[in-house]
Amino acid sequence: MPGIPQSLTLIAKPESLAPVTEFVRKGAREANLPELRVRELELLIEEILVNIWQYSYPEGAPGTVAVTYSVPRPGEMEIEVADQGVEFDPLTADPPDLTLDLSRRPVGGLGIFLLKSFANSMNYRRHLGWNRLSFWISASP
Amino acid sequence: MTIDCIQVEGKVVLHVVGRMDAESAAQFEGQCDSCISEGSTSLIVDLGDLSYVSSMGLRSFVGVAKKLKNKGGELRICRLTGLVRQVFEITRLNQLVPMYDSVESAVIGG
Repeated sequence: MPGIPQSLTLIAKPESLAPVTEFVRKGAREANLPELRVRELELLIEEILVNIWQYSYPEGAPGTVAVTYSVPRPGEMEIEVADQGVEFDPLTADPPDLTLDLSRRPVGGLGIFLLKSFANSMNYRRHLGWNRLSFWISASP
Repeated sequence: MTIDCIQVEGKVVLHVVGRMDAESAAQFEGQCDSCISEGSTSLIVDLGDLSYVSSMGLRSFVGVAKKLKNKGGELRICRLTGLVRQVFEITRLNQLVPMYDSVESAVIGG
């Protein structure tokens, strides 16, 4: 139903990427987002999940990730991804230096930059031991 | 994701189809490493049928481009569309790796 939040909680591990992606795709269909925006949404979700399983939880002790979405009105979707790992606000991460040549360019470090580039807005808060990262995505960029 | 490896005018062309995400990026890098260990110093990657790439995929492209440059060759990429083109442009990887509109122009290079 429109506006009613839907939630999925899974263990934060690479194998959870596919079911979480399918879960948010369902919301994107409800919101009637165009295909390119759906792909961007999938990218946002993957970048957040990779950050969680790589940095939030110590190796060998994975925790949970809870993904919640709602469709407040057609063409809009609100998403929150929450974990109970190490406190980390990705929005404070330093931006990558995109002017470096190939020999000096690090192989990684682009995930958070992509997050900030594609989400319409993004908000982080630490609350009762949870990292809560929320954003919304609309049919138009 | 599937990867077909063909020879065009003596150059190795990897045709990557599907999605390159956190689960499949290593497969691409592994395929490129195999080509490099078999003697290739330059590779052409056809992304015309790749619909999705994440930062884990980009990591593989940068890693492969560095390896080829260290061998005196280069990575050439062609036929980017949609989200894949957007991601390469936003991260300015299109300025580090030569991009072409077709396999034929990538083979010719320059």
